[in-house]
Amino acid sequence: MVYVKWVFITLFWAVVAAFLHYTLPQTDIARVIDTYERRVDFGENSWFWSGADTGEATTGANRDVFFIQTRRANGSVMDYRNEDTGWGWPPYFKFDTSNLQAEAADLRSTSESPRWVAIKHYGWRNEFISIYPNAISIRAVDGPDVTIIPWLNIVILTTLFGTIWAIWVRWRRFRENRLDPLFERIGDRIAGVR
Amino acid sequence: MLALARFFILGFLVLTVVYVSLSLYSRAVRRDKLEAKWDEHPEGDRDAFVQAGLKEYDHSLRRKLILGVYVVPMVLIGIIVYLTNFH
Repeated sequence: MVYVKWVFITLFWAVVAAFLHYTLPQTDIARVIDTYERRVDFGENSWFWSGADTGEATTGANRDVFFIQTRRANGSVMDYRNEDTGWGWPPYFKFDTSNLQAEAADLRSTSESPRWVAIKHYGWRNEFISIYPNAISIRAVDGPDVTIIPWLNIVILTTLFGTIWAIWVRWRRFRENRLDPLFERIGDRIAGVR
Repeated sequence: MLALARFFILGFLVLTVVYVSLSLYSRAVRRDKLEAKWDEHPEGDRDAFVQAGLKEYDHSLRRKLILGVYVVPMVLIGIIVYLTNFH
């Protein structure tokens, strides 16, 4: 039985970790190769596309999505989608998709004369179900090996785990002071009846 | 506009749950402190002392600060909207 408990605990924290890894912003150093848009027909992967309600109709089964093609500093290629998140989840409140596409197009470069950029994004790239990380912002940086300290993530994760810990401690105290004596009294009374 | 309305209604509901829980918790903590204070120096009626203390708490700034539960997220959202789109 003790294994079942640990499997559940591990599974729970794995889901939390995956959720945070998907949702929190990450920054890649890359070189923009090209920007384009193509029509996307959403299927089983529609969860991983945003479809924000930002003034346009959301009833269509497909629509055009902006993409930004890059080669990252580590040599691999990465394709980002560029979609509004609007007032939905995750709470980036991104409405400037078209502007971002213009900025990305402006920062295009070739491998002969690279211009390195930092792309802030959230989400995952998965080839098997055709999902792409969503680009949030783009800015030029000096070179391929600049260090970026994720201050925002440090603040968010510290606050999150601090809050969980604070609630957990208070809950445990409440259980020890109020619930345990109550159950003990009930137990005693049942024992007394017998 | 429907997305915005949905966002605000949902946000309002969630924050209200947080606000009510936090208010109740804060008042309970205050009550515990008052009771502990009276137990240290027992003087007069215990219930009257606690009730007077809680009445004072109800009008205190500390209690009104819990309204920050609504204000802080609103300010944060404003900052995020600005930084994401116009910065």
